[in-house]
Amino acid sequence: MLESLQYLLGGFAVAMTAQNLLYCFAGALVGTLVGVLPGLGPIAGIALLIPATFGLNPTSALIMLAGIYYGAMYGGSTTSILMNVPGETASVMTCVEGHKMAQQGRAGPALSIAALGSFIAGTIATFGLVLIARPLADAALAFGPPEFAALMIFAFVVLSNVTGGTLLKSLIMVVVGLILGTMGMDPVAGNERFSFDSAYLLGGIEFVAVAIGVFGIGEVLSNVAEPPEQLEQTVVVPRFRDLYPTMTDLKRSMVAILRGTGIGFITGLVPGPAPVIATYASYMVERRYAKYPDEFGHGAIEGVAGPEAANNAAAQSAYIPLFVIGVPFGPVPAILLGALLIHGVTPGPLLITESPQLFWAVVASMYIGNFILLLLNLPFVPLFASMLLIPKRVLLPLIMAFCVTGMFSVNNSVLDIWMMLVFGAIGYVLRGWAYEGAPLLLGLVLGPKLEVAFRQSLMISQGDFSIFLTRPVSSGLLLATAAFLLLPVFKAGWRRLR
Amino acid sequence: MNALDRLPSLRAAASLCTLAVVAAMSTPLNAQQFPTKEVQILIPYAPGGATDLVFRALAASSQKYLGQAVVVVNRAGGGGAVGFNEGAQAKPDGYTLTTAVTPLAILPHQVKTTFSYQNFAPIINVVQDPAMLQVQAAAPWKTTKEFVDYARQNPNTITVGNSGAGGGVHLIAAAFEHAIGAKFNHIPFAGGGPSVTALLGGHVNAVSVSPPEGIAHVKAGKLKIIALFSDKRMADFPDVPTVREQGIDFSMSQWRGLAAPKGTPPEIIKILHDAFKKGMEDPTFIKSAESMSVTLSYVGPADFGKLMAADHERYAKLVAELKK
Repeated sequence: MLESLQYLLGGFAVAMTAQNLLYCFAGALVGTLVGVLPGLGPIAGIALLIPATFGLNPTSALIMLAGIYYGAMYGGSTTSILMNVPGETASVMTCVEGHKMAQQGRAGPALSIAALGSFIAGTIATFGLVLIARPLADAALAFGPPEFAALMIFAFVVLSNVTGGTLLKSLIMVVVGLILGTMGMDPVAGNERFSFDSAYLLGGIEFVAVAIGVFGIGEVLSNVAEPPEQLEQTVVVPRFRDLYPTMTDLKRSMVAILRGTGIGFITGLVPGPAPVIATYASYMVERRYAKYPDEFGHGAIEGVAGPEAANNAAAQSAYIPLFVIGVPFGPVPAILLGALLIHGVTPGPLLITESPQLFWAVVASMYIGNFILLLLNLPFVPLFASMLLIPKRVLLPLIMAFCVTGMFSVNNSVLDIWMMLVFGAIGYVLRGWAYEGAPLLLGLVLGPKLEVAFRQSLMISQGDFSIFLTRPVSSGLLLATAAFLLLPVFKAGWRRLR
Repeated sequence: MNALDRLPSLRAAASLCTLAVVAAMSTPLNAQQFPTKEVQILIPYAPGGATDLVFRALAASSQKYLGQAVVVVNRAGGGGAVGFNEGAQAKPDGYTLTTAVTPLAILPHQVKTTFSYQNFAPIINVVQDPAMLQVQAAAPWKTTKEFVDYARQNPNTITVGNSGAGGGVHLIAAAFEHAIGAKFNHIPFAGGGPSVTALLGGHVNAVSVSPPEGIAHVKAGKLKIIALFSDKRMADFPDVPTVREQGIDFSMSQWRGLAAPKGTPPEIIKILHDAFKKGMEDPTFIKSAESMSVTLSYVGPADFGKLMAADHERYAKLVAELKK
């Protein structure tokens, strides 16, 4: 451990050279831009810039690419808060409370807390990576299809009522998401499902189209439906003394940030859509243990702080399996693995011993990068927040244009834009009847993963369901799910007995 | 400025745009001048996969020989169907190329598609990756023979992960079990990476993969190649024999090349072929191909067409076999 710290100091020395600092800054900046543009996520951002790193040495290249990753994780929060447009899966939960805060003229504190939360989470997660990487990474490999299926079931049961609305309506939305998730080529047998002979639908429903549609376009449409006079107004006039969080805000956010960091760090080690689960789980925990539960759904700052910390921590800890055992657990680490291979670096058990300089320089640069992000973003909070001063009749078309460009940038597909608009209309209708978008997206993202893991497990066991119960991790998760479902029943029974 | 003042300048801009469009449309398709603008490569997969990485590197190394920029565009979806479909329907002027990879010979048999290899004019094959089965280094089987014998005696017990149902490596594993008279339990994953992860965690007994997948773990001593389906031994692992050397008449590989829409003039195909061939021979490209552990294999247009046609027939039989 002490040795690790020594290496880390050496890493700082490498990362602090002018050249590497520059690449770190460039990565964080590009990442923020990529994150701000809805649709264009860290995966596309990194892939597009890999050829630009061909001329660099591997350390600088990796420092820059890593910067894009956590920069994008942070940048996503800006549009979520200001325009209710989630750029990627990890910023859906930030929309829920963050945009409400913006509507109350508290966009500044929301943006600042998102930056601060990301920074603190990034810092803690970096040290976690240094100190306990090895054993964690090995433990993570124990997650096979049965464990993954059990985890998804647990996530569904615990997270489906994430926003705390009517349980029935939440469940309906989860099911709608699950149904949408079945469209396209069946991931296990390769059969066509609900694709209506269209090559476009064969690929399934594009998640980003649903996310931007239901949240962003839905928001624009519901504004347009209001009486025309309100279009002359601004969203709200932020009071400028309220641009930065107050002491109370900070105090309330601190615990949420720490809890979010813990949740994010652990879920980042699980293969699969870690940031989604992490942000939903963190939001859920904050709502459950809130000191001011009435504020949830109406702009609770904990609901921004927790999930934002969680997604950054998850982004950071997702590096552990990649670096320590050479196994990418998600799409972003997978693309970084590709970039590393191009640069002649093979991540895996031998990386730390064979190229300690590279490894520790990258770790150190993550810490520096998080600091750069904080410096980069805090001064711009007033600028971003003042965007809300633009009258709605100008701002709403701008948001539309922004959504359309962002959507197109994902797959360069015009059909995706139509899909987004259709879901915008659906989002508008749902809004009218108080159905929530978050459970729908949960179903859409996790449904296909659950299906794959569940069917893989049964294929491995040749149809024997006991595979879920005989393995300790999966049976533990299923027990926890059962406990979660039964606890309220027992509690009620106990009360009646007394 | 009010709207009236703005009008003339708007009108001027509009007529300029019209002029530009007309000019672009009336440019004669002249092979002498080709290319006069950037050339696009459609990749029917999301960024970051092996195909994407190889052709991004090739695009970078070939543009100086082509004299124009080469732009890579990802059109993911439908296991590649979306991109192939668009590539087949592009204007046959040599400015929109598509990466022709093994699934082009598989998809038409699996799902209703509007394209097959016959809708494309082959340009060049760049990579031919050997297919193989990998197992954990600590697995009880030492040689291909031990593995094959065990598989024959214990049908449906060995779980073999693949990168997706009906994908290239799945069909290759199915063809191999057919060739040796055994039966595997095929487990599909969402990509080669996750299947290798499952093998490392011991959740499946073997995986069917193509480099670079799993190669790093083989080098690190965590996994081993139990059956190699290439014609020649791999440069990275001269000690690993092919299955053919061990008396099993079987070899299969996955190709990755470039094709233009059918009807592209032969002179333009030649210009493209020559430029990409030089790009393939460029030291920077060779270096990045080496570090990705992909096997470069140049095949000219005529032979590449034959290769695609042969595999189209071969996969038709395999898919029919699997659907039974």
